[in-house]
Amino acid sequence: MDHKNSKKPTYSRFSQQELPAWKPILTPGWAIASFITIGTLFIPIGLLALSASDNVVEISDRYDEVCVPDDYSSKAESYIQNPDVKKTCIRTIKVPKKLVAPIFVYYQLENFYQNHRRYVKSRSNKQLRDPKAEDDTHDCFPKSKTKDGKPIVPCGLIAWSLFNDTYKLSTRGKEISINKKGIAWKSDRKAKFGSNVYPKNFQKEGLIGGATLDEQIPLSEQEDLIVWMRTAALPKFRKLYGKIETDIEAHDSIKVEIENNYNTYKFGGRKKLVLSTTTWIGGKNDFVGMAYIGVGGICLFMGINFILLYVFRPRRLGDPSYLSWNRHPIA
Amino acid sequence: MTSNRPSLPTPGSTGSDLSSSTSSNNSDNNQIPNLHSLQNSSSQLSIKSNSWRASVNFGSKGVSVADSEGFSISRREINEDDARLVYVNDPLKTNETFEFCGNSIRTGKYSVFTFLPRNLFEQFHRVAYMYFLIIAILNQLPQLAVFGRGASILPLASVLFVTAVKDAYEDWRRHKADKIENNRLSSVLVNDQFQHKRSKDIQVGEIVKVSADETIPCDIVVLCTSDPTGVAYVQTINLDGESNLKTRYAKQETLSRVPGKDVISGLIKCEKPNRNIYGFQANMEVDGKRVSLGPSNIILRGCVIKNTDWAVGVAVYAGRETKAMLNNSGAPSKRSRLETHMNREIILLSFFLVTLCIIVSACAGFWLRRHQDELDIMPFYRRKDYSKEQVENYNYYGLGMEIFFSFLMSVIVFQIMIPISLYISMELVRVGQAYFMIRDDKMFDAASNTRFQCRALNINEDLGQIKYVFSDKTGTLTENKMEFQFASISGVDYSGEKIEFYGEQGGYNIQVDGQVWRPKMKVQVDSKLLKLSKTRNDTKSSKEIYDFFLALAACNTIVPIVVNTSNPNEKLIDYQGESPDEQALVYAAAAYGFMLIERTSGHIVIDIQGERQRFNVLGMHEFDSDRKRMSVILGYPDSTVKVFVKGADTTMFKVIDESLNLSVVKSTENHLHSYSSIGLRTLVVGMRALSIAEFDTWQTSYEIASTALMGRAGLLRKVAVNIENNLSLLGASAIEDRLQKGVPEAIESLRKAGIKVWVLTGDKQETAISIGYSSKLLTSKMMQIIINNNSKMSCKKSLEDALVTSRKLINVTRASEDDASSVALIIDGTSLVYILDSELEEQLFELASKCAVVLCCRVAPLQKAGIVALIKNRTDDMTLAIGDGANDVSMIQMADVGVGISGQEGRQAVMASDFAMGQFRFLVPLMLVHGHWNYQRMAYMILYNFYRNALFVFILFWYVLYTGFTLTTSITEWSSVLYSVIYTAIPTIVVGILDKDLSRKSLMTYPQLYGSGQRKESYNAKLFWVTMVDTLWQSVVVFFIPLLAFWESDIDSSSLGDLWTLAVVFIVNIHLAMDVIRWTWISHASIWGSIIATCICVIIIDAIPALPGYWAIFNLASSGLFWICLLGILIASMIPRFIVKMFMQHCKPCDRQIAREAEKFQNAMEITRNGEIEMNLPHR
Repeated sequence: MDHKNSKKPTYSRFSQQELPAWKPILTPGWAIASFITIGTLFIPIGLLALSASDNVVEISDRYDEVCVPDDYSSKAESYIQNPDVKKTCIRTIKVPKKLVAPIFVYYQLENFYQNHRRYVKSRSNKQLRDPKAEDDTHDCFPKSKTKDGKPIVPCGLIAWSLFNDTYKLSTRGKEISINKKGIAWKSDRKAKFGSNVYPKNFQKEGLIGGATLDEQIPLSEQEDLIVWMRTAALPKFRKLYGKIETDIEAHDSIKVEIENNYNTYKFGGRKKLVLSTTTWIGGKNDFVGMAYIGVGGICLFMGINFILLYVFRPRRLGDPSYLSWNRHPIA
Repeated sequence: MTSNRPSLPTPGSTGSDLSSSTSSNNSDNNQIPNLHSLQNSSSQLSIKSNSWRASVNFGSKGVSVADSEGFSISRREINEDDARLVYVNDPLKTNETFEFCGNSIRTGKYSVFTFLPRNLFEQFHRVAYMYFLIIAILNQLPQLAVFGRGASILPLASVLFVTAVKDAYEDWRRHKADKIENNRLSSVLVNDQFQHKRSKDIQVGEIVKVSADETIPCDIVVLCTSDPTGVAYVQTINLDGESNLKTRYAKQETLSRVPGKDVISGLIKCEKPNRNIYGFQANMEVDGKRVSLGPSNIILRGCVIKNTDWAVGVAVYAGRETKAMLNNSGAPSKRSRLETHMNREIILLSFFLVTLCIIVSACAGFWLRRHQDELDIMPFYRRKDYSKEQVENYNYYGLGMEIFFSFLMSVIVFQIMIPISLYISMELVRVGQAYFMIRDDKMFDAASNTRFQCRALNINEDLGQIKYVFSDKTGTLTENKMEFQFASISGVDYSGEKIEFYGEQGGYNIQVDGQVWRPKMKVQVDSKLLKLSKTRNDTKSSKEIYDFFLALAACNTIVPIVVNTSNPNEKLIDYQGESPDEQALVYAAAAYGFMLIERTSGHIVIDIQGERQRFNVLGMHEFDSDRKRMSVILGYPDSTVKVFVKGADTTMFKVIDESLNLSVVKSTENHLHSYSSIGLRTLVVGMRALSIAEFDTWQTSYEIASTALMGRAGLLRKVAVNIENNLSLLGASAIEDRLQKGVPEAIESLRKAGIKVWVLTGDKQETAISIGYSSKLLTSKMMQIIINNNSKMSCKKSLEDALVTSRKLINVTRASEDDASSVALIIDGTSLVYILDSELEEQLFELASKCAVVLCCRVAPLQKAGIVALIKNRTDDMTLAIGDGANDVSMIQMADVGVGISGQEGRQAVMASDFAMGQFRFLVPLMLVHGHWNYQRMAYMILYNFYRNALFVFILFWYVLYTGFTLTTSITEWSSVLYSVIYTAIPTIVVGILDKDLSRKSLMTYPQLYGSGQRKESYNAKLFWVTMVDTLWQSVVVFFIPLLAFWESDIDSSSLGDLWTLAVVFIVNIHLAMDVIRWTWISHASIWGSIIATCICVIIIDAIPALPGYWAIFNLASSGLFWICLLGILIASMIPRFIVKMFMQHCKPCDRQIAREAEKFQNAMEITRNGEIEMNLPHR
């Protein structure tokens, strides 16, 4: 045959599907080893996580119901909507363990769907960054423009519903200063909220949803707003209110003066004040530790089971007598 | 049966009422009405013979039969409305009333302007794209806008764009080819002179002249040729791939007119353009006479004129209306079994999808109802818009509509539950698999220089599930290279040593003008016979030998063609003909010194032992399926006249005068029996000298018959029968139809793999059985049940008897555990006529399914399909049919997988097939290796894609439950879109193309491993449900570990979304990695590359300040909880899978598992020593 005309496929390891390959097989040894390894790795991690969680001191105080005066107890809504009623509410919380600085002050809202489709969409990222884009409010309905057609900055439901309860903490008669600087992400302050964008027409008319903003301060420095606008993932969420940079001794009692302005009564939302320290796994959270111990335990258990299985029912690898046609000969 | 496939017309399905009318005319002893008649008509209609395979071939049956066809048609008027009128040499008048299509062709689909709309239109014919489109459109409605515009259109747009670029490139290539074709010059008669004209300018009605070795530019009706008798030889290799020459004839009425000198005019009335390349129906009015035209009068576009100086014809069909262009359709499409099953599961998945959507919309409804009073000012809902004077609802359309919208929105969000990308991945994977099948050097046939061909791209995986193989015999199991083996001449058997001449000076040759001419093919000759044939004396035996070889050299339709060789002094004679048997006989005669060197329609020249002799061919009676013989009447130089007849033993012995020499007849019969018992094809040759009176009678009746206008075929047959009698027996020839290389081993492997091999052949029973033995299909230990019956009742009885015996036998073997004594069923076509399509089918099926081997002999093409259908309709098993000839087309199309042998016989089988290859033995690597791999890969890929998409959807679904059922996704829309495009697409395709569960060597050594495909081990409903449960578990782990870990924390939704995105992509890829068996660098690159690509994409998305998730991933990655979560998810989600896998592997190992372990551990030494490259097939 003429060599040039031959259509014989040119040989390559690739085209003949013979590329060198690593062919791992899950042998009993490997399986037991991986079970035991995972088990011995996961249980200590779980214990570490548990102890870390244990070291976190977390104090939370639900105040939404308690702060409603007795004569309004059945009509909390009219209480919160009435501008003439004094909203201040004093709570005392006990410190069970020493709180080591930095202590994070959170407010926690429950049953508040910050991830609701209507809500998450109602914002304008452009407007927040760029003073020239203040008319970019088409996503912000129903809080995009004032009645006379001026754009609201920041527009949208998220900004409109900005949380406006305030807390004053004091212990032993001494006020505890809460640092509200640096509570928002640096990246947000730098790039997402413009340093030359100032609030305009915000909370000026119609229904007032929450806090007002100082029109003299650019958005990049309105850290409460920035924190609030990073919408929470779940309907039960915390937002950072501020940081306390002094330790609080155990068994102290903290007096909290709450301006209870934010209306969650309408939809059965709950409000909590939370003081918490953090460790490497964040706040108080026993779940991760338990899960790791659980998974590690299962792995150890399975590892032992497989050892027993291989001891009592061994099977030689690649034993041809296990082939189906050797077990039931066919014609 | 064949109508659902747009491919070449099969001979069985040619012209509908045409066949019935002719068959009732022609086959008088038509005992089997329906099947036989179809077979007959098909063999008459097609130029290429079919029925010669039903017995030995006696010659071509081109002209006269086809002519008579024409006559019988001419009685049936071509309906005026359906006719096309062509005025010969008058294109203006021809195109006056109807503008017939010009000769320019356009295979390109699009022009610059039509490309966009047409291409889009064609692309949207795919259901998958429609689904994409509808979802994208839904998403554009403002109420439903779940994703941004860009994100929702991107996947569809990218797929459309890629396909469009591919289509445009292919079309550009077609346009280029068209241009070359259209601008080819041809010679056209203009103003009584032949001028060169571009091919595209030829019009219907014009007269075209074609010279030797030129390609015909359009379909022409032959008017005259350089041959005085009006014969033109054409090669149709471009049309149907058959390389032998076919004869075309000019009509008596026109052949004497030379265009340019004589005036030619006339009117041709022919049928509308159609795609039947074997049928043509027309009549021509010349000089007031009406002549009918048949398929032998038309030369089709694409054919090449050979051995004829020139031919002139009138264009009747041009351009896209030519039969060649009408047949220019793509490969047939079948849907694979796996895909059918997959579609069933996809329906289940859409059911899941609807369920999820109903749950979400119902919950959303309840939520809205419960909070009805609060919605107005709820900060995160704010139904009322207070900014206007009129307080009105904002974006709220009432509860009912809101529920409806949330249903539609959930369809949009959960759309990838239906893995549309799977269809695209499957196509890519199949292309990849096809690449490897084509490039496999173990399926390359060096002899015919053909690669494996993948004609159907969508049934690769079916090759791994075949249970029944239906094989043709001639050309498939055997080489169809006929070799003359033995001769029995007047009762003397010459079957001695045959090595004498082989290799010595290349055999017999002659000197012509100082040049050496030798036959192209060398034949082994019997030394004794050679010596006898060379000695010329007047002994009786020498004369008989002379007559015998003269008969072989003369009594045929072979055309000798002289071919130049590299040596200027040497030329080769290539015997071209339609039947390989005849070729073998002529080559044999040449080897013994009777070399046919010239044939025209009037005479032949034979060089007899160096002495050139010219014989007049006074008449020829072509082969037909009733007589099963052919004869030629030769006028000797000394003006004696003899008739030579050759034919099948069954019909020849009826016309041989036994009284002449009874002992010779008896011994010849014995020889014939012994020849056919070793699988040789036999022919009997006889002759008779004609007296002048006899010759005159014959000649007059022959002339009347051959010029008769009506019933010519019948008349000619009568003439033939009258002269073919009282013959003296010359002898018999035995031709070996050699088994192809590796056939017995291949059959052995297939049988071991649990595949039932049935042989369906047109050959006679003895030949079939002997091939059965030589191919190891039959063994001496087998019990043979033979069914040969002539009536329905007897068929019924023998079937019943056979069932009883087989049952008994099977019970016995079961008791004795002896697998050797199995049952073989041998059944012939006549019995099948009574059994197929009757209530006996059921019994036959029952019997056949008990038999290890089934041999069907003397079956017609349609019966072959009937047998395939017998199995296909009654079982769930997959069938594969393999054949090489036109008579296998129906069977190939009927079976689930059709394989064509691209050998010497035509390409029709290849054209109808899904896969084509050079040798039968390639079936073993094709099915056991590639089929197995393809099945495992595809099955895994489908399940994996279901898992991958469902997992993502479940995670989205869980989150929706925490958002007030409002279909918010915390995973960014870009990640949702890229998930099945970038994050996870490539590894599954790479694994689908490249992963191999077992090495070629293991699969070839243990054919039983093929059983896993037959048992549907890798894809079944159980596996689907197991996968879905696993998916559910993994989704719970992926979703709830982060949820609980970040419960009551200040996590924002973008960060949590990023965590979910990374977690799901990691586990989806790790899941795949756990199942990959062979890790080549490509698998490593694709899997780890996808993970890295995902990280990069997430980082890029989070680096865009305009998106809400800006910088989330960086803040997230700085917290320890994130990493702890990720690790925990990876381990916890895989644990159940890992445990189940380990447990199954240890306690219930499947064959593949054991073989894989054996591969790795037991042959570890061997593998490292030899490497996998040298692990060639055990069967050469």
